[in-house]
Formats: sequence, C-alpha cells, structure tokens
Amino acid sequence: MTQRLKIRLALVGILILAIGAGVIDYPKGPNIHIGDYEKEVKVHLGLDLQGGTSLLYDADVTEIPADERAGALDGVRDVIERRINAFGVSEPNIQTIRSGAEDWRVLVELPGITDITEAINRIGETPLLEFKTEGEPPEIPEEQKLEIRAQNEVTKGEAQAVLDRVLAGEDFEALAKEFSKDPGSAEKGGDLGEIQEGVMVPEFNTAVFETGVVGEVIPELVQTDFGYHIVRVDERTDVDAAVEPPVAEEGEEATPAAGSTARARHILFNTIPEEPQFQGPFYEDTQLTGEQLERADVTFDQNSGLPTVSLTFNNEGKELFGQITRDNIKKTVAIYLDGSIISAPVVQQEITTGEAVISGDFTLDESKELAQRLYAGALPVPVELISQQNIGPTLGKTSIERSLFAAGFGMILLAIFMIVYYRLPGLMAIVSLGVYFLVILAIFKLWPVTLTLAGIAGLILSIGMAVDANVLIFERFKEEMRRGKSTRQSMDDGFTRAWSSIRDSNISSLITCIILYWFGTSLIRGFAITLAIGIVISMFSAIIITRNLLRVFRVKNTWWYGIKRND
Amino acid sequence: MYDIVGKQKYFSGASAVLFIASVGVFLLWGLNLGIDFTGGTSMELRFPDTASRPAITEMTATLAELGISNPRLQDAGEAGVVLKMQYISNEQRQSIIDAYVGVGVAEESFNTIGPSLGAELKDKAIVALILVLFAIIGFVSYAFRKISRAAVPSWVFGVGAILALIHDIVLILGVFIVLGKFFDVQIDAFFVTALLTILGFSVNDTIVVYDRIREGLKYRDKKSFKQIINESINSTIVRSLNTSLTTLLVLLALYLFGGESIQYLILALLLGIIFGTYSSIFIASPMLLVGEKLLKK
Repeated sequence: MTQRLKIRLALVGILILAIGAGVIDYPKGPNIHIGDYEKEVKVHLGLDLQGGTSLLYDADVTEIPADERAGALDGVRDVIERRINAFGVSEPNIQTIRSGAEDWRVLVELPGITDITEAINRIGETPLLEFKTEGEPPEIPEEQKLEIRAQNEVTKGEAQAVLDRVLAGEDFEALAKEFSKDPGSAEKGGDLGEIQEGVMVPEFNTAVFETGVVGEVIPELVQTDFGYHIVRVDERTDVDAAVEPPVAEEGEEATPAAGSTARARHILFNTIPEEPQFQGPFYEDTQLTGEQLERADVTFDQNSGLPTVSLTFNNEGKELFGQITRDNIKKTVAIYLDGSIISAPVVQQEITTGEAVISGDFTLDESKELAQRLYAGALPVPVELISQQNIGPTLGKTSIERSLFAAGFGMILLAIFMIVYYRLPGLMAIVSLGVYFLVILAIFKLWPVTLTLAGIAGLILSIGMAVDANVLIFERFKEEMRRGKSTRQSMDDGFTRAWSSIRDSNISSLITCIILYWFGTSLIRGFAITLAIGIVISMFSAIIITRNLLRVFRVKNTWWYGIKRND
Repeated sequence: MYDIVGKQKYFSGASAVLFIASVGVFLLWGLNLGIDFTGGTSMELRFPDTASRPAITEMTATLAELGISNPRLQDAGEAGVVLKMQYISNEQRQSIIDAYVGVGVAEESFNTIGPSLGAELKDKAIVALILVLFAIIGFVSYAFRKISRAAVPSWVFGVGAILALIHDIVLILGVFIVLGKFFDVQIDAFFVTALLTILGFSVNDTIVVYDRIREGLKYRDKKSFKQIINESINSTIVRSLNTSLTTLLVLLALYLFGGESIQYLILALLLGIIFGTYSSIFIASPMLLVGEKLLKK
C-alpha cells in the first residue's frame, strides 16, 4: 500500500466517522435496533440541567452482620425503586453508593420532580405485612397467677368494705362517684340507664333480673369478668317469659329480646383476669410475612365486584402458605398490616398455588395503595435522609442555554485565534476539532453519559486540551521547518517529537480524572468523566485527524504555515 | 532568546511575596467553607415581584418560628432570596414554602447537606488533593526515569513539578480567601474540582517543558544544565502561552455568559490556568537548577 493510498483511506475513514457521528448527534435521530436490542439514543441531562430532586439516604447497617450488608443495601435500593415506580416518576436513577467501609448509601434522583414531600414520605414509610394463625394463648406462669389472685383478694376486700357502708345506709350515688371504676356510670352515680334483659354478662344479668329486689341493694358482691359489682335495681318491667326471644343466627348480632327491661346502678371494682381475655381467637406469628411476596395486585371479587388485593408469593412463601393453609383448614388466618388486623378469612382448603386474596372493606384507591405498599415491601434496614437537593426546571433550562451559548462563543474565538496564528494548520485543527465535537456528542448519546453543568465545563476544558495537542505539534513543526527540513519531513518530525509531551501530559490529566471520580459526588463525577473522554478523544483528533488532513492538503507556499523561509 | 533562568530571582521573589500573602490571609481569615463541607442548607426562593417579597426581618422571624436560628438571607436577582441556614428536614422545608405559598413563592433550588456528610466530604477532598499530588510526583518520576544521570535524578523533576503545583494551589486559595472575606464566595465541592483539574493542567505544562529538557540532555553537546533549561523554556514558551490563551478564551466566554451556578468554578479554573502557566515557566524548571545545586553540596 502506498503512502498516498494510506492517507486517502484515513481521510475516508475520518469522513465516515464524522458522518456517522453527525447522524447520531442529529436531534431526534434514529434509535438503535439490533434484533431485539433496542436503545434510545439521546443525551441524558443531569438534574442540574433539567431540574429535579436528588436525595441521599444513609442506611443504618450496624444491626446486621458484615457479610450481609451489601445485600441489605441492594434490598434498600430495590424497595425504594419499587416505591418510586409506584409513584410514577419517569427515568428515576436509584443507585447504591459505597465508598469506604462506613458509607452505605442510596442515591435517589428524580428528574422533573420538585414537589417531593410526598415522594419522601413514600420512600420513608415501612409497611409490615404479617400472616398469623389461630393458636393457644400463652400460659401465664403459676407464680404470676398467684400474684394476680392475691391482688384480686385485696380488691374484693375493698369492695366488701364499700358494700358494708352502702348497707349501713350511706348514699349509694356518692359512693359510686367516689369508688366506681366504671368511667361511664360513675359520673352519673352508678346509673347504667335502661338495660335489656340478656345484654349484660350472664352474672350481672342474673343479679339484675332475678336475684335483685327493686329499690334495694343486693346484699352480696356480684362477681363478673370485669370485677366485683355492688348492684342496686331501681326499676324493672317484667314481661311474660313465655315469649320466645328470636334466636340469633350465626354471624349476626344477637337482637335483644323484646323482653324485660330494668334500670340499675352499680359500683365497680376491677379485677385482673387470671387468664388473658381475647376478642376472638388468639393469633400466633408465622414465618410468612411481606418479605415472601412476589407481587400484589388489585383484583375484583367475582361475586360482589368489590376491589380486593391479590397476593402472589415467591417459592419460599408458596411453601409456607401451603403449610399454613393445610394446618388451618376451617380455621381463620389473620392478615395483619402494620400491627393491626385487616382481614381474617376462613381457610377452606389447602392452597398450594402460592396465591391469596385479601378482601376487606376497601375502596378502589385504598386497595390500589395497599397493593402498591405491599409490593414495595419493607425496608430491610432503617434509612436516614442526609442530603436533599432540588433544582427548579427553569434554572436548569437557563443554565443549559447559557452554557451552550458560552461554549459556542468560546469556540468561535478559539477558531479565529487558531486560524490567524497558525493559518492552514490552524484551519485543519479547527476542522478536526469539529469532528472531535461530533464524536464526543455521539459518545455522550450512545454511552450514555449524564451531562451536567460541571460536565459541560469539563467538556469545554477538554477542548482547550485538544487545542493544546495541536499547538504542541504545530510549534514543533515550525521549528523543524525553520531548520530547513521539507514540509513533509517537518510535519512527520513535528508529530513524532510532540508525541511524548502529549502522551505524558494527558496521562497526568487522566490520573487526575480518576482521582476526581473517586472523590466526587455525582456532579463532580460528571465533570471527571466528560473531561476524561475529552482528553482521550482530543489525543485521537490531534494525532490522527489533524495529521492526515495536513498531509492531504499540503501546499508549497510556506506562508500558509506561517513561516517565512528563504529557500 | 530570553534569559529567563538568569532573571530567576525576580520571578521567585514575586511568587514568594504572593505565596506569603496567601498564607497570611489564610491565617488571618481562614477559609470560607460552603455547605458542601460544613453541612447546612442553601435555598433559593423566587417571588412573583418585588412587592410580594417579604422583608428580610419578616422572613427571619418566620424561620425562627420554625426552629431555624441564625439564617443568613441575601437578595438574589429581582425578587429572589437566598436562604442559608443549618441542615433542615423536608418538613421544615415544606413549612417554609407553605408560609409563603399565599404570595406565590416558587422554590428555585434547594440543597441541604447533613453535617456528617459535610465533614466526610472535607476529609475526602483533602485526601483527593494529597493523592493527586503523590500520583503526579510518582508519574513524573516514572516518565523521566531514563534521564541522564549527569544532571539530576528523576525524582527532582517530580519534586519540581509538585512545588509548582503547591504554588498554584496556595495562590488560588489566597485569591478565594480574599473573595470569601469580601464577597462571601464560598469554597465548595466545585472549587475542589477546579483545584484538582488545575493540578492536571498545570502539570501538563510543566511536563512539556521537562520533556524538552529531557530531550536537550540527550543531545547535550557541551551546554550547561542551566543553558539547556533556558533553551527548553524558550522553545516551549510560545506553545505554553498559546495553549493557555486558547483555553482562557473558552473559559472567559463561559465565565461571562455561562450562568451563575458554575461561575466560581470557571473563575478558579481561569486563575488556575494563569498561575499554572506562570509556574510551569518560571518556577518548575528553575527549581531543577536549585535542586542540582543543593544536591552538589
């Protein structure tokens, strides 16, 4: 291959590169489609240029073992990501940041979102989903029972003393106000108002409707689950007991019999129950929690049409849920959210598909929110917001316009200087700088590099450095020319001799970029990356593009090279 | 050819005066560190017009009610206010906005940094600076390892480059301390970025001159070390000035038209390039001669 052909080929290569880069750079240019691979080609603007919010969270990993921390941090990122996605932000950037052994952070960048109070709240909340099964309440130790019994004896003594005073003729109402532990009636002198027969607990009911004599204090203490009562029946209307009270059907509130009514007063002395009392069955924890959820969706009940939330468990959850349902057929399984029960369906059969439905009294919005919150899951470790940055959209837009204008203006000044001072080589340098710019922009679009304001500054600085490589070569070239070498020879020597300077100086700048990248917050990293890309491409543009252009457009007259030579 | 090395004492003297002045203002006033390093909040609010903008005293009172003490408020633009204060929570931020939502306030920007994060960044910045310095000293020593033993060992080149860099850093810091004192210009992460970049740029210039000296030593003839240094400076001075000039042109355009948020980053870069060019011509290379003399003794 002749030298001439080589140069021509290089020139064609440069042209193809420039056109290719130009097509990519063209606004709304084509996207990349290679088979199934599809990639949108566009410049990614940093938050400072398009406006948005950046949140930095510090994860507290002190509670978990060292080898699980990295996984926990990834978990935090995933959970935050799901919560943010539910919030509907386009292109959020959520990444973990670990520099050093002490920093466990998650950076959340939300472009276009400036009203972020709701987003912050959404990230910070930790819903807790638990599944519980019916079980035996825990036994209270004998020792504790004895203690309770002793205390209740004391209470009984107090009650007896008051009963004695009532029986001795003291004012019932005044004593009720003073001693009764029933806050509702104590104020009213112990008056319970009108009572339907069968509504009160059995012991009390018997006392009022059977043992008690109207207008008299029952001379014994009445003991119920609540404690000891001193009771006085004030009125009673007896109705024919032959009338059958309607039988309460299962699941319904027992309708009070349209039977006897009474009016009574009481003084209550609370006792502590020896066995714990529960409303409904006692529920035991299971291994199954929101952690084993794979997804949660809003569905609709086929019969009622009401919104429900359907749950799909992962493999572990599927197994656990299968076991729980197998062991609890005809019993209830309670679903707790944030510690309170939201539904307790009765298990009809073993469920092995790993799917469950929560039905409750939900509105559509409530069920949507519940599904989202459940899907997002709980944060594996607590997080703390340590830095927050919002940039308004107009500020970013102004910044990009102004810096682009400034860059254009600077480039024109630069071009004028180079052409006036270096003439033909200067012009070639500007042409190669143009190609350099197209290539840089194409790289930014393809990589994609997130462009920040500091990044633009880095880019512009790299233009200065690109020119530097050219200037080094041209100065060397002139020197060789002055020594009387031919244009061709001077050019080659100029390039060869300048190369070591260009190489060494650029390597030192690249070292700086690496350290900057390590040091930096995301904004500074943008600067370091753009500067580094700029340095590498600028070396290429000076060594390959300018050189070949100058070889092709070679002229005899040395005026074009800014040199007076007396041949 | 200019006898730059011969007039060394004037250049060294001028640099020494500026260096001492910079150290002086540092001891006197210290650095005006921004919230990036101290932790705290910077918030810019914009009102529809000057009439709807509350008075500074009124805003201070509102902030005090929200538990924010000692805020610093500055006018920004026509109807804007910049609030600088301690680290605040998002609730507090929302309360501030809510307090003025009636008059149509808009939040232009908000930046809050926890105190521990600030302290951490400060440590990191110092480590990064030291790392860059050592990386450069290492690289320069490596790049010039094959240099003729007749002159000076290669690490002297490294030390010379570092002295020039320290000179640049101290002088820029001096300027920013004065700006910080009188115009409340703060030293932030951007400033450190600029500083680190300048290190790269300045050593760039220095390496070009050193590269020439390296070449000169190879074809030494009977020239003295001093002569070689002077010739090398002279043959690279046009290149150094032109490179700096082209970069300065672009930076100047950015400084004048590029917007406020990176104004001081650009200013630091501008100063850095001026000092860096100066030091690579008038400090770094003559230092080699000083090194040679010291080693001879």
